Amino acid sequence: MKSTTPPISTVSSNTLEATARLPLGKRIGQWLENEAVLGYVLMVPALLLIVVFIAYPFSLGVWMSLTDKVVGTPGNFVGLANFAKLLRSEIFHQAAWNTVIFTIAATVIKAVFGMWLAILLNRKFRLARFTRATVLLPFIVPTVLSGLAWLWMFDATFSVFNWVLKWLWQMEISVFGLALKENWGYVRGPLWLGSPSLAMFSIILVNAWRGLPFFAISFLAGLQTVPPELYDAGNIDGTNEFQKFWHITLPLVKPIAVVVTVFSFVVTFSDFQVVYILTRGGPHNSTHLFATLAYQLGMTSGNLGEGAAAALFMFPILGLVILWQLFYLRREDSGG
Amino acid sequence: MQAYVGETFFKRLIVFYIPLFLFVAVMLFPFYWMFITSIKPDFELYNVRRSPFIVSQATLEHWFYLFKETMFARWAWNTLWIATASTAISLFAGILAGYSLSRLRFPGSATFGISIFITYLVPPTLLFIPLASVIANLRLLDSPWALILTYPTILVPFSAWLLMGYFKTIPRELEECARIDGATRLQAMTKIILPLGMPGILSAGIFSFTLSWNEFLYALVFISSPQQKTIPVGVVSELMKGDVFFWGSLMAGALLGSIPVAFVYSFFVENYVSGMTGAVKG
Amino acid sequence: MTHEAGRQRGKTAPGRMRRRDFLAHTGKAGAALAAIAGTNWLTGQAPAFAQERTLHVLEWSSFVAPADVERGRQAAEFGKQAGVKVTVEHINANDLPARATAAIEGGTGPDILQLLSNYPLLYSAGLDDHNDLIAELGGDEIYPFIREAVRDENGVHRGVPNFFGGGANVYRKDIFEEVGIAGPPATWDEYLEAGKKLKHYGMPVGQSLGHTFGDAPGFAYTLLWCFGGKEVDEGGRVALNSKETANAVDFLKEFWLAACDEGGLAWDDTSNNRAFLAETIAVTLNGASIYFVARNDPRKVAPGFADRLGHFLIPEGPHGRYHGVGPFTNCITRYSANKEAARDYIRFVHQDDNFEKFLVINKGYVNGPLPKWQEHPMWEEDPAVTIYRELPQYGRNLGYAGPYNRQSSEAFAKYIIVDLFAKAVRGDSTQSVIESAERELKAIYEA
Repeated sequence: MKSTTPPISTVSSNTLEATARLPLGKRIGQWLENEAVLGYVLMVPALLLIVVFIAYPFSLGVWMSLTDKVVGTPGNFVGLANFAKLLRSEIFHQAAWNTVIFTIAATVIKAVFGMWLAILLNRKFRLARFTRATVLLPFIVPTVLSGLAWLWMFDATFSVFNWVLKWLWQMEISVFGLALKENWGYVRGPLWLGSPSLAMFSIILVNAWRGLPFFAISFLAGLQTVPPELYDAGNIDGTNEFQKFWHITLPLVKPIAVVVTVFSFVVTFSDFQVVYILTRGGPHNSTHLFATLAYQLGMTSGNLGEGAAAALFMFPILGLVILWQLFYLRREDSGG
Repeated sequence: MQAYVGETFFKRLIVFYIPLFLFVAVMLFPFYWMFITSIKPDFELYNVRRSPFIVSQATLEHWFYLFKETMFARWAWNTLWIATASTAISLFAGILAGYSLSRLRFPGSATFGISIFITYLVPPTLLFIPLASVIANLRLLDSPWALILTYPTILVPFSAWLLMGYFKTIPRELEECARIDGATRLQAMTKIILPLGMPGILSAGIFSFTLSWNEFLYALVFISSPQQKTIPVGVVSELMKGDVFFWGSLMAGALLGSIPVAFVYSFFVENYVSGMTGAVKG
Repeated sequence: MTHEAGRQRGKTAPGRMRRRDFLAHTGKAGAALAAIAGTNWLTGQAPAFAQERTLHVLEWSSFVAPADVERGRQAAEFGKQAGVKVTVEHINANDLPARATAAIEGGTGPDILQLLSNYPLLYSAGLDDHNDLIAELGGDEIYPFIREAVRDENGVHRGVPNFFGGGANVYRKDIFEEVGIAGPPATWDEYLEAGKKLKHYGMPVGQSLGHTFGDAPGFAYTLLWCFGGKEVDEGGRVALNSKETANAVDFLKEFWLAACDEGGLAWDDTSNNRAFLAETIAVTLNGASIYFVARNDPRKVAPGFADRLGHFLIPEGPHGRYHGVGPFTNCITRYSANKEAARDYIRFVHQDDNFEKFLVINKGYVNGPLPKWQEHPMWEEDPAVTIYRELPQYGRNLGYAGPYNRQSSEAFAKYIIVDLFAKAVRGDSTQSVIESAERELKAIYEA
């Protein structure tokens, strides 16, 4: 971007001397006229928060993960023992795998269906505004609260889904002339949270349900930046809808798609609430994620060192994502 | 927006109405379920032989329980106050940082930008264990301030990033005109950039408010006494209990806890979209 | 306000103070933020530590609702006598450990933590010395399986067991009759045969194998012991990998498919209560809370439902009969500023007249810490729950046969034994599930 402002300025000793004689308020005012000074001053609140509540606890966490700290004790330095212990633990392996599957599946579902929904919402129709606000609901209500509704809908005994399945099953029996049984017998339907693969499916479903509106609305914002003339050109060329999407829409919403997807990847990768409410990691750890395992190790079994280490295992992967995105953004910047 | 002229109704039905209806149905079904569960009396709720879709004797007992037997009103107040205060702090810090990074040039600004960006990718689940001891050392455990001060760490990076993008879309010339007319840099910021950046600020504000309203992990770990809890934590820890849980009240609480944010959004959803659009363009 | 903050800091136990103060002074924002913390004027709240003395007790939320009410009443009565404002907070038992961790790490929170199972040993560094108090309140007369679960390796008692709960099998007498089961099964093999009939009928055995604090471990550990399997031997060495454990696992594999509601893999402690009352299962291992609700809460069940219920003990296995019991222990925290009042409160709830009221209101759901409570006439009043007083005879705590220690609570908190069985019933090979559980146990016990 071309700029007409003067090049980066520094505080020269001359201005310092000149301002020293002015009253305090004026002096501060003059100081703030200096681009560099103002730049730093405006950064202070954000940096203060970040240093005190992110950087410092982060380094504390790194330290903790190197100790054998259990609740109520200071802990002794043990080097990388916690990490080694975790790497030997099958529960940890499972949690790592689970997190990878969970994150990839949920992010892909959210991105694909979110794009679809955004395209639908981008059309003109009556109640468009209202519909947009409605589909946003899952994203804005507290996850634990909507998670509770899902927990109830997945309940092993009272699941509404299973009730419907059973009802259909019973319908089939009566349709085919079989005796209508008074007692439905032992039919419980799918164990939504009880069998390992279905439980994984269920937590992915709930996470996707919740995150999808965020994708849809962000993509919608992206779609609205696409000039309609481009499509008109496409229409003349006689391209079909899919080609238009692939060659015109997608490249244009790519920047926002990348940002949103990465943001969602991070949030999904570190998800805690869905699992905490629905399964607490069960059945037999088949739905534990890094975050819930860290919570179980650190908070409920009191091994703060091990818990911190489990949480820190997230960092290398998140770090790679961060680096990739920084690289990507920079390339986009220089390219466009 | 596309007009899709000349589309037959049948095609419209297949490619538009039916998919949209399905989306809306899936998105809303859990809310319908919350509602219907919250008005069922216990003997209907815990009966597998009745259709769960039918309520024969609707009752408000679960709603009354929420207000009489728990501190729900208090939790709602706490949540509102904490969300508002942390949103205000985040916007303050986010606007300043966003302005600084998008408009002012100073040594190290790129590094600051990157470090803010990196922190937005450090999730709370990675920090909560050590952060608990930081909060304890600051004597903030079990105080709303524990949340008011920590939530911005989740919110500031995103707000700053969003606002940075948005501020960039405001022509520099407007600010320079004001400066030529004798305004200081700060005045230029408050008089020109803030009003013009309102959609972006609103978006960041809505986003921050929602995230604070929904936050669970920090509130679970840092807050203990019943009268200090937020809605998500209060509902989970005080209603998921007893021999059968209070499912009716749980769902009533879930619904009530969702309404305020839903309300905010229904007014600002277009703003949110345009705010995001601005940020993306920048 | 900084003055208040200073006062509060002064209350910390001497041992913790040095590090804490150091951090508070070096942390740049520390002092400033501590000042803000005291300034609760924004919320219109007076600082909590104003004039009157307060006592904060954190307890589980009982499955027998009137028990919580009675606790509240006693707390209020104690408060009036002692001039202390007592708050008893009840939360989901699954959340107690996390709250304890946060409170102890933060050095602030409840004065008395009610901890389940062997948890007092897990948190021993943050809990007060209760040796004098426990001696005063029964000492060696307290059942060993709950007393030893609060004594750490230095011989210091970290709490006073208040009561314990445990499961017996609550069953539908009418359904048993209908499917032709002669009477309550005495052995696991008989139970399997009965279970087959029940499942065929459509109302199987209901049993949780999920990640939850009570029913799942209560069942899994007990089954293991009945077949002679052990987590650790008497010396505390991991001894899981044995023929006996394999027998227990093989038995459950068969039992699960043939007799149980497979939804149990996702159940928490409340699920079997709901399922039983909704008449989808005919028998489940539980405290007397299902019976209590059936008897006392007419809105939740059909008329006469309670009369159709009976209880039987855990069946005998090749190595006899065991019952996993869940002690509920009152633990005064080390950081508490009101230790003396807290001790008085514990004395108060242990007083014969107060404990009696508590015992009676629970109607068989809890057992007292001392054998004398087995003699109480309450047990004879309702024959349906009389059997629960026999639990102490078969009572063992988690970590049996080894010494109870923090490792056994860690194994419990990580659901190692529960998951051993949960994995097996899903179809993993017996040897592989035992070996993987053994590795996890070794990482805990032999670290």
